[in-house]
Amino acid sequence: MSNSHNGYKRVSGDAVEYEVFARKARVDPLHLVGSVVAPDADLAMAYARATYDEERWCEMAIVRKEDVIRLWSPGES
Amino acid sequence: MSVSDLVLSLADNKQMLGLRYAEWATRAPSLEADIAAAAMGLDDLGHSRVLYGCLEPLGADPREQERESDPSKIRNLAYFDEPWTEWSQFVAANAVLDTAFTVVIEACVNGSIEVLRHRLRKMLLEERYHFLHGRSWLRSGIEGAPLLQAWQEALEFFGPPGSELEGLSMGPDDMRARLEQQLETRAPDVTIHWEVWDPLRRRAAEGAMDEHTFGMLRGLEEKKYAPPAAARQAAG
Repeated sequence: MSNSHNGYKRVSGDAVEYEVFARKARVDPLHLVGSVVAPDADLAMAYARATYDEERWCEMAIVRKEDVIRLWSPGES
Repeated sequence: MSVSDLVLSLADNKQMLGLRYAEWATRAPSLEADIAAAAMGLDDLGHSRVLYGCLEPLGADPREQERESDPSKIRNLAYFDEPWTEWSQFVAANAVLDTAFTVVIEACVNGSIEVLRHRLRKMLLEERYHFLHGRSWLRSGIEGAPLLQAWQEALEFFGPPGSELEGLSMGPDDMRARLEQQLETRAPDVTIHWEVWDPLRRRAAEGAMDEHTFGMLRGLEEKKYAPPAAARQAAG
């Protein structure tokens, strides 16, 4: 059985990293549970839901990692 | 042809779709796509169990005894007869056939049969992510042949134009329009031979799933892995 992926390219150019946030209850803050790499937001949503569905989250959201504005990073505070 | 017949065909197809998705859980183009294939496979196998569970409340259970020994009695589309060898087959099934099944589920959820209205609703939430996955990969461009086959078999699954089933909110013509709307494209021109179309299996092509897959469904493949003593005990 062949496994040819020749000719396929990721959908919108270069793949993008998305951070995945979730919370289990309304009173909890959203927290970072991981990340996925995908070429567009649709696929990133599908990947996030498939990868991080081991908990019963009441909310899940994704954001492009490059859109996160960092005030400082580890070692800079 | 009854609603029970349609639900059984939907259940058999969901089971086969789940199985074929799962076969790609280590062969997709990326780790994320591997995980999505596994997750969607689990979803669809779960959906098939829910659908089989609807047959008894619906009344007449159309499952025949011959299903245990004859793969041609399983009501799956020809698209699932053989394992997929190309990623484009996965994508076409994910985008077109999975969405077509969801359209039929929508027709059940928005119809007048209580057991289907209640039990199938949750599937629509899970299917949203299958749709996003399939549509996104479809937009990346795939080969024409699997896409054409998927469209043809989706239209065959909906049934002959004008053949409405009581209790569902949509007939074949509405389902076709809904699928076109979802995928933002017109259905390709395909010739369907309705004169040889099997209303129970909802397909025009003859044939059945491969022997290995049928053995897996029947649990027969597992016996090959049992120690000889356990196999003799099971046989005796």
